[in-house]
Formats: sequence, C-alpha cells, structure tokens
Amino acid sequence: MNHIFSRVLKRATFWVAFVVAIGLLGGPLVGDAPAAKKKPLRFGVADPLTGPAAIFGKDQMQAVRWAVEDINAKGGVNGHPLEAIILDHQAKPEVGIAVVNRFVHVEKVPVYITAFSNVVKAVAPIANREKVLMLSVGANAPAIARLGDYVYTTFPLADVDMNALGKYAYQKMGKRRAAVLHVNHETGRDGAKVFSNSFKKAGGKIVVYESYEQERSDFTGLVLKVKAANPDIIHIHSVIRDFTAVVAQMRQLGVKTQITSYQTAFNPKMIQQLGKGAEGIIVTALAPSVEDNKNLPAYIERWKKAYKRMPIGLPYTQYFYDAPYIVAALYKWVLDKKLPITGENMRKALVAIKTFEQPLTNTVTINDDHTVKKPVYFWQVKGGKFTLIGSQKD
Amino acid sequence: MEYLLTVMVLIGINVILATSFNLILGYGGLMSVAHPIFYAIGAYCSGLLAIHLQIPVPLSILIGAGIAMVLSFGVSLPSLRVSGDYLVIASIGFQLGILHVINNLEFTGAAGGLTNIPVLNEGPSRSLVFVLLIAVVAACAVMLVGWIVEGDYGRAITAMRNDEEAFSALGRNAMNIKIVLFAIGSGMAGLAGALYAHYFAYVTPEQFGIFTSAALLTMVVVGGAATTWGPLVGAVLLTTLPQAITFLGLPVSIMAPLQGVIYTTLVISFLFARPQGLTGGTRGGGGLEAWSASAAFRARRRAE
Repeated sequence: MNHIFSRVLKRATFWVAFVVAIGLLGGPLVGDAPAAKKKPLRFGVADPLTGPAAIFGKDQMQAVRWAVEDINAKGGVNGHPLEAIILDHQAKPEVGIAVVNRFVHVEKVPVYITAFSNVVKAVAPIANREKVLMLSVGANAPAIARLGDYVYTTFPLADVDMNALGKYAYQKMGKRRAAVLHVNHETGRDGAKVFSNSFKKAGGKIVVYESYEQERSDFTGLVLKVKAANPDIIHIHSVIRDFTAVVAQMRQLGVKTQITSYQTAFNPKMIQQLGKGAEGIIVTALAPSVEDNKNLPAYIERWKKAYKRMPIGLPYTQYFYDAPYIVAALYKWVLDKKLPITGENMRKALVAIKTFEQPLTNTVTINDDHTVKKPVYFWQVKGGKFTLIGSQKD
Repeated sequence: MEYLLTVMVLIGINVILATSFNLILGYGGLMSVAHPIFYAIGAYCSGLLAIHLQIPVPLSILIGAGIAMVLSFGVSLPSLRVSGDYLVIASIGFQLGILHVINNLEFTGAAGGLTNIPVLNEGPSRSLVFVLLIAVVAACAVMLVGWIVEGDYGRAITAMRNDEEAFSALGRNAMNIKIVLFAIGSGMAGLAGALYAHYFAYVTPEQFGIFTSAALLTMVVVGGAATTWGPLVGAVLLTTLPQAITFLGLPVSIMAPLQGVIYTTLVISFLFARPQGLTGGTRGGGGLEAWSASAAFRARRRAE
C-alpha cells in the first residue's frame, strides 16, 4: 500500500511542482479601471501587469494614469473626463486577444492602446476587422507598420534607433568589428538584423552573429565565442533579464569590450544589478532627454516623490504618458466635428491631425506609411548612472 | 455578444484539445506532455498551406490535422520504448525541438509568428457561424473519444494502461494501441490548431509551449482524467474562469500575487482531495484514481 501511495504521491507531486514552477495557466487578467464619471470618454490600455514583463508594464500604466489625471484636471476633453480602462495582457498574444475582444465588444471603446510586438501582431486583425483604432506604444517590430489600416504606432520602430546606432558605432565611435547577440524573439531578431545591416552599410564587419532562446540562463559558450572573435563592439538585443545575465557573464570571463543595446536596457535596475560591470554600456533612447524637453524634469521629480526612484524604462513611460494626450486630441477632433464616436472617425481624426505636440516626447508625426520618425539619443553608463553622450536628430 | 462568442470559440478549441489529450493521457496512461505541439503543427501547416499555396481554407484545415496525425509518430514511437516519467522527458524534448525549428524558420514567421492567415469565414455573423461549427466539432470529438473507449477496444486500452506486460503476455499488441491513440489524439489537436489559426488569423510559437501543456493538464486533472465529460468540464471551467476574474476589478497589487495561488490551490486541491476530478465517480472511476487503481493492480500482481 505504501508503494502505491508513494507512487501516486510522487506523480502528483511531480505535476504539481511542474505546474507551480512554470507560473501556471495563461490566465487571469486584471481589471483596474478608474471610478466611473459622467459621460467619460473611454479608451482601452492593455499592457503586462503580471508576469516577467510587468516590470515595465506597471510603470507604463502609472504614466497613463497620471496623464489621464492631468488631462482631467485641466477640464478633460470639451468638458468630458477621459477614462482609461487598463487591463493586463501579460505580454502573451492569446491573453491579448481576449483583452482586446473585451475592449471592443464589452467596453465598446473606439480606440485602444497596447504594447509588445507579439501582442500587437496578434490583436491587429481584431482592430482591422472591427474598425477600432489601435495605437501601438513601445512595441518596435518593423512589421507593425504593415499590420493594416487601423493599426498605428506612436512610437518609432526598431529601424529608427538601430539604424542610427549602427552608423554611430562606426562613424562616431570608430568601431570596425561587431559581435551581435540577440534573443530569439521578434524584437531581438529584427533589432539585431537592422543594427547589423546598418553597421555593415557604414563599412563595418560583423564577426559574430548569434541568437539564443528565451529562458536561457547560461551564456558561457556564447561569450567564449564572442571573446575568440575579438570584436571591438558587442551589440546585445535582448530582454532586460537576459541582457544583465549576458553582460555579467562577459565581465566574469574578462570581456571588457564596449557593449551597446537598445531602449529596454535604459533601466536603472540594470545598473544596480551589474554594478561596475555596467560602466561604459551605451543604450539608445527614442524619447527626449531633460535637455530637450522642459516638462521632463518635473515628470522625473514626480516619480521620485511618489516612488523614490526613476521609472523603469524612462523613455517608454514618456511615450505612455503622452499616449492619452493623443487619444484626447482625437476625441476633441471628433467632438468638434460633431461626428459619432466610432473607431472609423477616430482613425479619420488621426489621419487629419497627423502631428501632435506632446508633453514629454515633443513633436510626434504619424507618417502615411504608419511609421513615426524621432530623434535617437545615445546614453552611456558613467559613474553608475546614465549620461547623454549624443543624439541623431535627422 | 461578440466577446462571448469569442470566449465560446476558445472554449470549443480547449474542449477538443483537452478531450484529445485525455484520450492519450487519461485513458491510454501515456505520459506525454507534447500535445500542444500537434496543436501548433495543425495551426502552422494549415495556415502556411492557405497562405502560400492558396489551398481553400476548409481543405487546408483537414490537411493540417492530417499532418499532425502523421507527425504523432514522433511521440508514439518513443512511447514504444519508454514510458512514465521517461516518456514525459522524451515528449518535452520533441515539443521543444519542433518549437525551436518553427522559431527559426523564416517562412513560418519565426519568433514573430505567422500573420495574415486567411480566415475560414467572413461576414457579420462570422463568430456565430464559427461557434456553431466548433461546437459541432467539439461534440464530435467528445463522442469519438467516448466511442473509442467503450466496448472491446476501450477495455483493451484500459488493460494496456493498467498492466502493459500482462496485456502483451495475453497476445495483444500494445504498440498498435499506442500508435492509434497518439494518431487520433494528435490529429484532433491539429484540427483544433487549424481552426484556431483560421479564426484568430495569427499564431506564434510561444502559444504552444510548456504553458499550454500545463493548461491542458490542469483541464484534464480538474475535470477528471479518464472520464468522457471531465475534459469538457475542465476546459469550460478553466477557459471561463480567467475571463471572469477580469470583471472583478480587483487591484493589481492583490491580483498579481494571488493569481498563482488561485490556480495552485485549485490543482493541489483536486490532486489530493478529489483526484478523480469534477466528473470522476467512485474509486477507479476516473481521474488520478484510475491511475492509482492501475498502480494498485500492478503492485498486487507483483506481490503475487
């Protein structure tokens, strides 16, 4: 009997441990809508609030909440308060589909905002089919520009900053031999490809080009391969957790080469975790710095006052703070023209207005090809904090 | 209404998946967790055929299911040599291997996923028609599994699960049963994947990973493994519950840490307090109880 019991127990324990260990079902979504107000103008926002990507999503949603508060404090849109319906998509496409279906069919919003390339691609067919305007904020896969009539981005796609970084590395930094490592997901692949092409076009040579699967934790083999190739610059296009792990292992194995990455590494926690190993790392940012935006110092202060820290992924949060201002402008255009509030009219408003003066990201122009061009800022870790070292404004 | 119809589509797909998984895991006792990869194979093959070869969608769905059925040999053949925990490992290897291939091929859309998959039907009643279709397919899947496990063949499956050595000693061919179970179960999963692809128009490799294995396993365990209606109940419950939770409007600070606990509690409660699942009957009537009855049978035979 004991044998039977232990066998069943072993099997049960195995499965329980299995299920518990991997974080469980692709499940619960989390509603977090503000209190209802009279005749609010509503819009949906879907971002990861749980799971590994929530580190960015939570701060991005705080930026949205503050923006809505600020817009409403100034009278809202023609007297109507703006209301954000914030839901968690966990950065998972299947969860994103459920969330967006809820936005469209239950909440009946004419416009919604979302992020993360895999989710953006998964929910784009819903926007096009149901004629609801979708604004992608923060996702940067170049394919997003081609997802359909109702899908727009307010955020520059990867070809903007990675093209600039490839050229900057060759022309300004004098680098000639680059190693490129990327995580094998959409953002990693596309970003690495654009950087490589740009660097090669400028005259440089790619000496190592390697990918790795998500969830990997040991990068020794990759690092040794990079070390053997002796590059003078290493570009890593990955999520922040992997980036930190790769750089830490590089430093442990004595690789002191200049490292670059993209906006996701613009993260104070990365500096905390890597310590001195972070010194010299260069990252791109697509949002203006305090030198270029007069509202940014107050915004940063607001974070320090509320949370005693900088936001995770400051440039992303700048775009998220500004997204409700775009929504407000669209609503205003539709209301002023006395048109019904529909996704079709919100899209008409976007196409008509085209250029938005934004509080934290300055001028944002939505191009006819559904892209956005913005200056690229280069930041370097110096003395344990990010320091602006240059920009490319054309 | 449209939202509910979309949830119903997901329920239908999960019913097909859980029912087919139950055929392999619950009735067959074949500890494979690679079921989502056949879901992926059906989705990708059907989507790619419709995109690149312009094959009519209904035909591509059937071909996708057929390819999943054929590729089930990838798991059924190892199952002839290994069983139990070893088969779990072999099946995980198969699942991750195929996912890795999909993740690295340009024509599958690689990690970015396959977009612009033609939908099965258009029009204002698109979702309603699709729900009706998927309800019919799901009902057929449940009935098919019910029919397979009834009668002589069903008793042979149970006998193989309970004691393969004794079963073989009686001159019965366990190999054939395993291959048939994997082929039918995987074909059904492929069909579910193809239907998913042609409704949602986008698939990505991360949808078919180990998370989906855990989800299907939980549906089968909670509903009741080795029961006809258990996977259906589990699929309905575990598809609607996450949706329902979103309407509670609980703050993230509460929901985020609680969400894992809710599901963990559910799974642990069922494993220990009601291993037969929601629909399982008395001892030996389904769920983990069926397995433990099998284990008891084997132990008794060894003792004798």
